[in-house]
Amino acid sequence: MLSFEFGLCINCNQCLIFSVTTNADLTSLPEKHLVLLRDGRTLIGYLRSIDQFANLVLHQTVERIHVGKKYGDIPRGIFVVRGENVVLLGEIDLEKESDTPLQQVSIEEILEEQRVEQQAKQESEKLKVQALKERGLSIPRADTLDEY
Amino acid sequence: MGGADLWDDVMYVFRDGEACVSRGGGSEPERGPRGASLAVGVSAPRTMFRYQSLEDCPLDEDAFQTLGEEDEDIDQFNDDTFGAGAVDDDWQEAHERLAELEDKPATARELEDGAVSDEMDLLGHHEENLAERLSKLVIENELEDPAIMQAVQTQPPMQPGGLNSSIWDGSAVLRRIRGPLLTQEMPSVSVLEYAMPQRPLQGQEDERDLSERALPRRSSSPVIGSPPVRAVPIGTPPKQAAVPNFNQQILCPKPVHIRAPMQQRYPSPYGERMSPNQLCNVPAGRMSPSQFARVSGLVGSPLTSMNPKLLQGRVGQMMSPASGFRAFFGAPPPSAPPPSQQQQHPPCPGSHLQNLRPHPQMFRPDTTHLHPQHRRLLHQRQQQNRNQHRSLNGSAGDRAGHRSSQQEQLRKDPYANLMLQREKDWVSKIQMMQLQSTDPYLDDFYYQNYFQKLEKVSAAEEMHGDGPKKERTKLITPQVAKLEHAYKPVQFEGSLGKLTVSSVNNPRKMIDAVVTSRSEDDETKEKQVRDKRRQTLVTIEKTYSLLLDVEDYERRYLLSLEGERPALMEERKQKICDMYDNLRGKTPGQERPSDDHFVQIMCIRKGKRMVARILPFLSMEQAADILMATARNLPFLIKKDAQDEVLLCLLRPFSLVLYHLPSGTVTSLLQQLANLPQSVTAPAPANLHLAAVLQNKFGLSLLYLVLSRGEELQNSNAGTELMQDNQWTELMSMTTRELLRIPEAALAKPVSTPSNLLSLFSRYVDQQKLNVLETKLQLVQGIR
Repeated sequence: MLSFEFGLCINCNQCLIFSVTTNADLTSLPEKHLVLLRDGRTLIGYLRSIDQFANLVLHQTVERIHVGKKYGDIPRGIFVVRGENVVLLGEIDLEKESDTPLQQVSIEEILEEQRVEQQAKQESEKLKVQALKERGLSIPRADTLDEY
Repeated sequence: MGGADLWDDVMYVFRDGEACVSRGGGSEPERGPRGASLAVGVSAPRTMFRYQSLEDCPLDEDAFQTLGEEDEDIDQFNDDTFGAGAVDDDWQEAHERLAELEDKPATARELEDGAVSDEMDLLGHHEENLAERLSKLVIENELEDPAIMQAVQTQPPMQPGGLNSSIWDGSAVLRRIRGPLLTQEMPSVSVLEYAMPQRPLQGQEDERDLSERALPRRSSSPVIGSPPVRAVPIGTPPKQAAVPNFNQQILCPKPVHIRAPMQQRYPSPYGERMSPNQLCNVPAGRMSPSQFARVSGLVGSPLTSMNPKLLQGRVGQMMSPASGFRAFFGAPPPSAPPPSQQQQHPPCPGSHLQNLRPHPQMFRPDTTHLHPQHRRLLHQRQQQNRNQHRSLNGSAGDRAGHRSSQQEQLRKDPYANLMLQREKDWVSKIQMMQLQSTDPYLDDFYYQNYFQKLEKVSAAEEMHGDGPKKERTKLITPQVAKLEHAYKPVQFEGSLGKLTVSSVNNPRKMIDAVVTSRSEDDETKEKQVRDKRRQTLVTIEKTYSLLLDVEDYERRYLLSLEGERPALMEERKQKICDMYDNLRGKTPGQERPSDDHFVQIMCIRKGKRMVARILPFLSMEQAADILMATARNLPFLIKKDAQDEVLLCLLRPFSLVLYHLPSGTVTSLLQQLANLPQSVTAPAPANLHLAAVLQNKFGLSLLYLVLSRGEELQNSNAGTELMQDNQWTELMSMTTRELLRIPEAALAKPVSTPSNLLSLFSRYVDQQKLNVLETKLQLVQGIR
């Protein structure tokens, strides 16, 4: 079974190092991995393939949206992620997976929550910009790809 | 084209690729730029104009390297191309075969081994050829690097003679589709290097071109986008004369050995025509890992069992014997292996290979390069798996049992092992290679320092405790000796002279941009101020570089040879002097009357931090000088520091300096702080300077330090002179007066209150005032 261990990011070129385990045995259960993407999405799935650019092939992927203490899963199927969009990748401990204080809700609910949260954020952002404008200052917007 | 003179030449580049020059003297080019067709117009003074037209600009010089070098090879090449050595391999057929396989229905996963072998035949045969050819080509230095090889936990290679070997069993059932689809690339060898026919390795070539075999620097990673220095661009058909280049690159002692067993097993001839085109069909020149399946497999195991001596013929490799493969923690000095050492053929690596039968369960990987926590987890998991495994099938060594258990697990998770072990190894090998560094302190400074600190801490712990509390294992990265790559300019066949081609490795100046500094007479004040600030910033940067160098000398000292050390010391001293000059502003031959330069530096946050770091390196007088200058200008600095509050970083170095100062200096220092002129005139009702000092945390702390030092001096034997010093007494009374006067609310909170202040004050004030001071300054520890 494919299983990577999370190595240290020591390279100043900031490449993810994963040291591949030598698990010649096949485990009975595959291991889930959690991937955080640059746009803020969290994907959870079985990592099937990886290459030197950290391009990933995820199987039975689920996109998990977190809002506050709640989260919701959207099944997505097979995901192929281009390496440059990966922020981090880690293995999920299956035993501890159910051991969270977070509460799972339905998809509609979590999407609704997310929308509300986004709206609130936008409002506060607008106020901030307004206040700054009144003082004659302006803060340039960050690159949208990197903010979430 | 700002700054271009009317009299400069202007080079116009048109969209159709033509370029023309307009001679100086007018804005009209000789051929008149036609509006829309003009791509760019560039000012190019005559002296620098190189190319009359774009067609003359050659391509990337890396494309044509070392052409026509060795005459003796030409005959051979001719022979191979046109004569007996040529093998006409029809790549198109091979490609079609591969395509057929893709079209087959996707039922492989449930196929029995028997059916599999049919497909495997087709595929395997083809891949056999490829693999064989590739293996002859692809053996690289990098594979022998222990650190990289540690990351490669390859399964033992296939057994001789038989496609129904274990590799293609079990997990390989899933891997029906190979070939150009799976795109991975053997690290650091360009596509066309694979493509080139393998040449019988000659011993002399080893010596000749070992330098070229060195690993590319990390910046030119094995990604196609940034090919290694000597790579031919993808898609370029191999030139006749370019072959020797590849030949040299391919050279490596390893293939000599590996090929011996290979020839036993894979007698099929190696075709010349095949590879470039076929491989170029593969997107971006990536190769399937399965095509390297046997390559890496073969490479991996012989290495582990090979004589360490065999590894020494390489250049550019940090070597610990391959058999040893022990992770090395420190930085063993790079040993340049003697290039003249001839390679020995091992007796028979094949026998080694045969000995290494696959027993996956027993395979104990070398995980020393893993972080200890990860290693523990891994072992735990392996234990679990082994237990499960044993429960699943009774006989561990039984092949059939193994297979069935595999299938059972596959049923549970049919997608398991989509990546072969060797693919995983391959990817991690790439990652490890990217970590190769000739100078880890340069490339990975923070990590090295971080680990040094950790080691110090754990060493300290060890002194107290029984043993190291936590394992701190560094990730072992391969270390490479630095190599100078001699740049060889492009040579064209049959051309006279050398063309200068500009490339990433050999940048050439195309445009001579002249910097015209405008000296306007009426520069505004703001501009002056801005320029001055910029000057200061530049000074800070320069001094900082010196500082970093000086701080690094200790480490260099340890690494250097005996003979070099005095020179190092000299350099260091010189740099320290330079730093000091930079700080104070060089006024050659004079005293330094003006603090201005220093104050400017101190107004900038970075400058303050830098001064704090420099102080330990300065001599006593220099340090005292700095201290004085600071004290003199303290209110100004305080004002400037209001936002940053960085002055506090200076306290520690200042206190260290103070500790060594003689009494006279201390007095002057206090004087500076209090800002009294030499002759004590009638004291002003309020000493603004001192007041400002007292109201600031840093100022007050500094004052306390000075006072405390004075008290120490007084208490000691040398202190008698201090007592007799009128100035000191005056200053003390001044200070105490100010301290009493200032309202408590305005008083800053110092970093620390020295304990001997009370006794100090008791000498100069009466009891009542002393009590007041006591409460106000909270001199007695109990009051808090």
